[in-house]
Amino acid sequence: MATIALADAVLEELVAICGEEHVFTGKSALYNRARVPAPFPVHRWDDHIPQAVVLPTSAEQISEVVKLANRHRIPVVPRAGGTGLTDGAVPLRHGILVDVKLMNRILEIDLEDRTVTVQPGINMLKLSEELRPYGFIYPDNPASYPCSLVGGRIGTSGWSLIGARYGHTRDLVISFEIVLPTGEIIRVGDGGGKKVRKSSSGYQLKHLFMGHQGTLGIVTEATLELVKRPEAEFSAFFAYPAYVDAWKATGDLARSGFATLAGVVLFDEKKVEYLRRDDEAYIPQPDSVKSVVAVAMYGQAAEVRPAAKEIMRIGKDSGGTYLGDEISQADWAARHDRYATPLHGRTRSGQVVPMGWHCEDAAIPYSALPQVRERWHAIADGLRERFDMFDDWGMFVYTNGAFKPWGDFLTEIDIGIWEMRWDEESWAAWVDAKREIGRVAVEAGGSLSACHGSCREGEVDLVPLELGGGFEVMKKIKCALDPNNVMNPGKYLLDRAYEEVD
Amino acid sequence: MLGFRLAAQKPPDPQRITDDVVMRFEHVYEVDPALMTEHVRQQEMPAWDTHRIVSGRWDHLAWMHDHFADSVISGEELLREIEADG
Repeated sequence: MATIALADAVLEELVAICGEEHVFTGKSALYNRARVPAPFPVHRWDDHIPQAVVLPTSAEQISEVVKLANRHRIPVVPRAGGTGLTDGAVPLRHGILVDVKLMNRILEIDLEDRTVTVQPGINMLKLSEELRPYGFIYPDNPASYPCSLVGGRIGTSGWSLIGARYGHTRDLVISFEIVLPTGEIIRVGDGGGKKVRKSSSGYQLKHLFMGHQGTLGIVTEATLELVKRPEAEFSAFFAYPAYVDAWKATGDLARSGFATLAGVVLFDEKKVEYLRRDDEAYIPQPDSVKSVVAVAMYGQAAEVRPAAKEIMRIGKDSGGTYLGDEISQADWAARHDRYATPLHGRTRSGQVVPMGWHCEDAAIPYSALPQVRERWHAIADGLRERFDMFDDWGMFVYTNGAFKPWGDFLTEIDIGIWEMRWDEESWAAWVDAKREIGRVAVEAGGSLSACHGSCREGEVDLVPLELGGGFEVMKKIKCALDPNNVMNPGKYLLDRAYEEVD
Repeated sequence: MLGFRLAAQKPPDPQRITDDVVMRFEHVYEVDPALMTEHVRQQEMPAWDTHRIVSGRWDHLAWMHDHFADSVISGEELLREIEADG
């Protein structure tokens, strides 16, 4: 599908709103904003290229761009860091791409009420660096911590590595300002107060606009929690001789009841096998190391130290072998920055090939983890047998609940993909596999996604199945707030809402 | 000025660690070059460059710990206490 250029008159309007230096139509600006790190049909790159990119500097400019889009019926796609794994920022109908990266200022640090108000283009790592002199941190900690931005975290309702201790994005964002699909600027939170954490007044609109994947507007400002910088960090990695032992230990650790527990991570046998290929922590491990459990804690030293001692006891009593301080501390630190890891996979003959990383995620009840693991690996094996361009890199599961880290787990299977080999047949097989992975999650009583969102090809087909009547409400909300379907059209099957109205 | 010269600081010959992995420096592992012949070729690197990358990684990890907390508690120390407690 060839991209049609925007009319000159529209471009002139965009220039009048954002300034000439903030409107781009050149190839590099457009092509670089067509994809995210998730598997991308590189053989159909043209289908996803925006017609223009704007980098606004204020909510008012964004509002004017959205109003223009409504007048001309042009799609608008918001983009922050572009690090999401469910294609929220990937245009499906071309249009105007609104990149918020220039809106990256801290607007207020309120030490009394413990909030920080920021623009959506700021990154969490940079924000925490700015907060350090005051003794605070902003602990929203995805694998893309050094490169994802606050606006995108709200757009995806992100999951945080240390969410068991500090909460996830939805818990750490107190309120935010959003430009609606028709251009009005409103603020949503718990009730009306910008800095109120809990209200019973009115509908709880913060959650409606959390994880909308750009379909309900563009976030222009957010008020966030200021969290006291931890005095102490503790991480421990335990090895187990079998997955089932590690799974049981994961349950024991997650239910241990320590308030400073920030996360528990389970590596399955396939993951350990993968790491033995080229990870310095796992290559020298004896064959008896089949599965690994990692635990992390943060807080005041007076709380963390005694709790960490109990964690060591639980690890030992559950049959785990402590892998030592060097591995425990280094591997944990590396988990804050997974996007910097250079990736390669193996063909069936064992040859090294450059591969992109795909992480398929779901929220799965603890009790169902072993059977989901088996079914997901079978799906990945089927892909690899048919196409020598997929590589099963194993599974992680992570505690998923905020503040109460038991019950369900963020469950991920990592699949390496030799993207240069994509063609229509392999892409179709991949989309089928994603759909099957999602179906297994829903059948297990889980959710299609704990972390990334669920609006990519394949998995999105199961959203109506997962949400049932809730999906009907989603369509009504979309139609009511975005009558011209300009905000990220095509995402989440929401075009169906307009087809039904017609 | 002369640019890159592998011969200036040639890495030692590799020792085999596993079927897929070799090692030239203590705890610095490499994919077996035999697995990098068809699609990706292994780069030749002088010893100083390998050491620079390894120490850069340790610097990064230390910085990351410091970014999140003032101190890091040792599990090995806690295990010794547990053993002493009986």
